[in-house]
Amino acid sequence: MEVEVIKGLKFQKKQDVAIVGAGMTSFKRRLNETGRELNYYAVRQALEEAGLTIDDVEIVVLGSAPDAFDGVHMKEEYLSDGAGGFDRPYMRYFVGGGTAVFAPIAGYFHVASGLADVCLVVCEEKMSSCHPHPQSAFKYIWDFFLDRPLKPNLIWIFALEMRRYMHVNNVKHEDIALVSVKNKANALDHPCSHVAEKITVEDVLNSEPMALPVRRLDVSPPSDGAAALVMVAAHKARHLTDEPVWVTGVGWSLDTTWWTNRDLYYPRYAAESAKMAYKMAHITDPRKQIDVVEPYDPFDYKELHHLEGLGFAKKGEAPILTKEGVTQRDGDLPVCPSGGLLGVGNPISAAMGVKACEIYWQLSYRAGKRQVAKEVSTGLCQAWGDLMQISTVMIMSNKR
Amino acid sequence: MIEKITDPEKLRHWGGKIELYWVYTSGKAGDLFFKKLKADGKFLAAKCKKCCWIYFPPRIYCPKDFSETEYLEVSGEGRVRAFTVARLDPYEKELKKPEIYALIDIDGTNGSIIHLLGEVNAEEVSIGMRVKPVLKPKEQMLGDLTDILYFKPI
Amino acid sequence: MAVGKRKIECPLYAEGTAVSEEDIKTRKVTHYEDHPDIRYSWTAGQAISRFLNGLKEGKILGVKCDGCKRIMVPPRMFCELCYKPIDGWVELKDTGTILTYSISYIDPDARPLPKPIVVALIQIDGASQNMAIMHLIGEIEPEKVYVGMRVKAVWKPENEREGSVTDIKYWKPLEG
Ligand SMILES: [Zn+2]
Ligand SMILES: [Zn+2]
Repeated sequence: MEVEVIKGLKFQKKQDVAIVGAGMTSFKRRLNETGRELNYYAVRQALEEAGLTIDDVEIVVLGSAPDAFDGVHMKEEYLSDGAGGFDRPYMRYFVGGGTAVFAPIAGYFHVASGLADVCLVVCEEKMSSCHPHPQSAFKYIWDFFLDRPLKPNLIWIFALEMRRYMHVNNVKHEDIALVSVKNKANALDHPCSHVAEKITVEDVLNSEPMALPVRRLDVSPPSDGAAALVMVAAHKARHLTDEPVWVTGVGWSLDTTWWTNRDLYYPRYAAESAKMAYKMAHITDPRKQIDVVEPYDPFDYKELHHLEGLGFAKKGEAPILTKEGVTQRDGDLPVCPSGGLLGVGNPISAAMGVKACEIYWQLSYRAGKRQVAKEVSTGLCQAWGDLMQISTVMIMSNKR
Repeated sequence: MIEKITDPEKLRHWGGKIELYWVYTSGKAGDLFFKKLKADGKFLAAKCKKCCWIYFPPRIYCPKDFSETEYLEVSGEGRVRAFTVARLDPYEKELKKPEIYALIDIDGTNGSIIHLLGEVNAEEVSIGMRVKPVLKPKEQMLGDLTDILYFKPI
Repeated sequence: MAVGKRKIECPLYAEGTAVSEEDIKTRKVTHYEDHPDIRYSWTAGQAISRFLNGLKEGKILGVKCDGCKRIMVPPRMFCELCYKPIDGWVELKDTGTILTYSISYIDPDARPLPKPIVVALIQIDGASQNMAIMHLIGEIEPEKVYVGMRVKAVWKPENEREGSVTDIKYWKPLEG
């Protein structure tokens, strides 16, 4: 087999990897179910869609963000039984919000390497346990000498980044707010959604100020939830379905954690992660070759920021795509057709349900009311996290 | 070579506390369990519809085969499988009186629970000893594990 | 064969029982509340210790790397680009330029502040491009702050300084 080497990386796989099932719970501010129970709901749905039982699962990947949300130290142990981790190789992967796509990337390794033929990927978050507010947990990601004495709120980072993006590219808040309007409206068609609503740009601009330019409706709400994916080897996929969705490329990249030393207007980490995935998936012109995108949208400006980083628009030009309706569900490049984090909710790692799961459903034409108008063959999902410097990307295709 | 600070007084540190607290919901099965305990002083277990394993405390699913479960009532009595005598609290402070913690296999189930033993001296506890739960007065119950004060020998 | 094919709509179910703050407060939903007492002692390390000691003396210290020629702040013991020890310490100015800013209405626990505060990334004079620190801006109406504004540190009196980033009370506009 010919081995492709890119920046020292060898993209050699033993077998092709297909996704054959996905599931997710409702995303809500607070759910009564325990994390284990949420995992069970998501896994059961994914297995049902795949036509498999838990006995068919050979290996399990768990994705979950900081323990400080659930308030369970080493929560992968606690969560294992609802995730099907019982009696089989099981491991947690964690890169903050980036986990939403990194967990499926880890699942991909397990199958592509030939280690397993059936891998279950499960992501869970129960942010509501954390008090006085889920945002309080973020106090402990700040540098304790340089930042914490100033009593920062996590939103500050994003407000500073959003301002820089607006300033350098001369983008107006009303152009950014269109993203929130679009995603919250898309989420009306998502049965699991938390904050789907019909809103206007004025609603966003007049919503409660948090850390300007960021206002309440620019932000996705913290949520509880879980999601699951079933990833299998090609020879298994053949028996399970006529319409598997193939993973054709993965990539991830980390920028420096000296975040005050980066120019925040452009997400270099997103560009680097995309470069890796595009090489692997043989994509040279993402705007032409990719039909549907689920970039990470915890804030409205992040969708635009990420679209630029991922190469779907030139620097500063993603707002034009949004304004012209290109990123609507019936547009030429549907973006966040699920409703994204802004509309469905933001349970950090479990955002996999509206990122990787949604792209899978779109490419298998199972997204129901959310199905994009155009014919689709290739899609991209992306997540972002840690101290806002990691990006994780997965490209899928319904053609092998 | 960069000169380093060698005077430990000049090396800085910052003491702080994690100022978070957590509110854990009992979950779907847990909520039923604690509500039943609070309302009727009764204990719920859950039986797997497929492999018939009986979970205590109850769960909505069987982690082995992912089948659903059905609830059933059990007495809450059981046998001591293992026990330990604690002399320090979670912050390693001496307890006024040593506490006996036991792992108790609950009758009629495949499950067990960790709880305090009471009305008994450590020297008198033995593996296999039969015990039963002692509950708080109903009006003081909160719907959590402290509604069981301790288990005592039968 | 998999169920449903194109006809099925996913996700198959929306499961999960939403509960409200009120359900918790009134114990309509059973729960357990825990307030663990977890304490830490965070060490600052060589570079940040020296930086903090410098603040006590009213100085902002950076480091330089001869490899990439960068002058960096906050200081560090190694250059993450060249991946080698830094080549020396540099005293920077206590003036700078606002790269970006925010007007914050909330505290770390998302509770409203009594009055909004301005936080900014300030590129420090004497350091390389984009070498900024995060700090507060004062002595100006929040609406009048702009990207590119020149600012100067306002220090606490010497006897009140304790070797913390709060030894600088805030930064104020340089002109006017
Ligand atoms: Zn069973
Ligand atoms: Zn260097």
